[in-house]
Amino acid sequence: MNPKRLLALTRAGIMESLYFRLGIFVTLFANLIYLVLVYYLWKAIYASSGTDVVNGMTFTDTMIYLILATAIFNFLEMFVVWDMSRSIQSGKIVLDLLKPMRYRKYTFWSYTGNHVVQFFLTFVPTFIVVMIVTHGAIKFGLNIIWFLVATVFALIINYNIEMLVAPICLFTESTWGINIVKETIVLLLSGATIPLAFFPEKIRMIVQYLPFRAVYDIPLSILLGKSGSDTWDGLLKLFGLQIVWLIVLTVAGNIFWNCAVKKITVNGG
Amino acid sequence: MEEAVVMKNVCKDFKVLNRHEGLKGSIKDLFSRDYKTVSAVKDVTMTVNRGEIIGYLGPNGAGKSTTIKIMTGVLEPTSGEILVNGKVPYKNRTENCENIGVVFGQRSQLWWSLPLIESFKLLKDLYMVPEKEYDDMIALYRSLVDIEPILHKPVRQMSLGQRTLSDILAAFLHNPAIVFLDEPTIGLDVSMKSKIRELILGLNKEKNTTVILTTHDMGDVDALCKRIVIIDKGMKIYDNDIDHLKNYFGSYRTLKLKLADDTWEEMLIDEKTTDVMDVIMEKQKEKKIKDVKILEISTEEVIRKIYEGGTK
Ligand SMILES: Nc1ncnc2c1ncn2[C@@H]1O[C@H](COP(=O)(O)OP(=O)(O)O)[C@@H](O)[C@H]1O
Ligand SMILES: [Mg+2]
Repeated sequence: MNPKRLLALTRAGIMESLYFRLGIFVTLFANLIYLVLVYYLWKAIYASSGTDVVNGMTFTDTMIYLILATAIFNFLEMFVVWDMSRSIQSGKIVLDLLKPMRYRKYTFWSYTGNHVVQFFLTFVPTFIVVMIVTHGAIKFGLNIIWFLVATVFALIINYNIEMLVAPICLFTESTWGINIVKETIVLLLSGATIPLAFFPEKIRMIVQYLPFRAVYDIPLSILLGKSGSDTWDGLLKLFGLQIVWLIVLTVAGNIFWNCAVKKITVNGG
Repeated sequence: MEEAVVMKNVCKDFKVLNRHEGLKGSIKDLFSRDYKTVSAVKDVTMTVNRGEIIGYLGPNGAGKSTTIKIMTGVLEPTSGEILVNGKVPYKNRTENCENIGVVFGQRSQLWWSLPLIESFKLLKDLYMVPEKEYDDMIALYRSLVDIEPILHKPVRQMSLGQRTLSDILAAFLHNPAIVFLDEPTIGLDVSMKSKIRELILGLNKEKNTTVILTTHDMGDVDALCKRIVIIDKGMKIYDNDIDHLKNYFGSYRTLKLKLADDTWEEMLIDEKTTDVMDVIMEKQKEKKIKDVKILEISTEEVIRKIYEGGTK
């Protein structure tokens, strides 16, 4: 573990992301359109329900949740599946395997720079706007620190989910479909598109223990003081769930990747 | 430790699916278990000494890249033993990587949108090169090639030649014991080729780096390699000094005849079996000859003869 290496990779990642500054504006613009759609969709849902509070959430609660979920989604988003399949098809994977670092670690730290840039350029501005518009509906205290910790865990969990899906392209060659399936499952079950509170009771019971929730819903709940995160007990439970998944997925990802590498080293990819 | 690479009876087989034609065939292939084995490298034994530049030659598909991938540790040999810098590369891939540099022809390991200098800095940290050694290396680069025009240019804006040059510099940056260059001069113009040859030679001299080079350009071989290894269909068919190679075909001469219409006709003649003068006289009966040249056989022709099965 040499921090200099990791910092150097992060630094290069930041520079690379900034090089594509146009991409950042496109992201912000696409978000805006998406959020306008979301706004009217949920406005209609609330109007048709006839009450102000649906599943324990007011319209404002829901909007705050979804806007911030989108913002988190933007900065946690990774393209491991896409990148890996391309680099396997082009044979570039060989060059990545020839770096003086373990591949999984090298890849993770190649993405961190982009996360840092996205955090400051999409999440922070969105958060500030939400803060201002809602006149302090979000508490600003220790929850921010816990949120950042939860986000780091979420980042690692998300990476490991990607790393469990990406090597499948070594076996099937049809990455596009796999990626779509993965995206849909993650987005739906993580609470990034529909707050988990809106899920039917029975499904929610299952979903709340799945790893997808640990990526978007848990950091968000902690930020907003939901899901019992305003008590030490509740906070510990949420972190506990994240840490369990973090360990399980890291171990599983490691094992799966070692199998995948074997396929490359034995059969040339 | 005098040997950089030791290979003993190394074989590499690939299992490939027997593909069928057409849409029906493609669907059939989805469930097919019909594999065939391709032997890319067959029983290769060789030793590369420290500080050597060896030319690793062979026609397309001979197994050169596969051998290099085995040496770098990305491929595991099917059988046989291999040691690179005294270690088994595929068992210690990450460790092995700290001590080798690699350039794969048209593929770049550089960071596409960053200026070259940033890629260098990143590589410096990745390989944990001490500041002083890094500065010395950059100074050495400056003395060997004019790097100023490319140092602050993003790699994506470089010409193929500049990119190859950059990739070679990047491969040598952490002063590795061995550098593998897999067809580095492919697609380059004459002046860039000679620049790159000078650079490789200079780095090899200064740092005593072992260089294993594959190429189809005999100019590279003439300029750089004292020793060549040739493989064909996965089998080693020649391994010796380049001078020895010319001796082997020492009785061969290239005869060039300038004909009446000012075109040159070329033929390869084995002096042991044929008399050059006879050939000229024979020709003269058919056509008028304006000029005659007799040349030593070129490396190019020697290699071609070997590829065509001229040895043994
Ligand atoms: N990953 C692979 N899977 C199946 N066959 C391969 C693979 N890589 C190389 N080969 C085969 O092995 C042989 C040697 O290839 P290669 O080492 O790339 O040759 P060279 O570099 O000398 O042109 C070729 O017949 C090639 O088709
Ligand atoms: Mg090749």
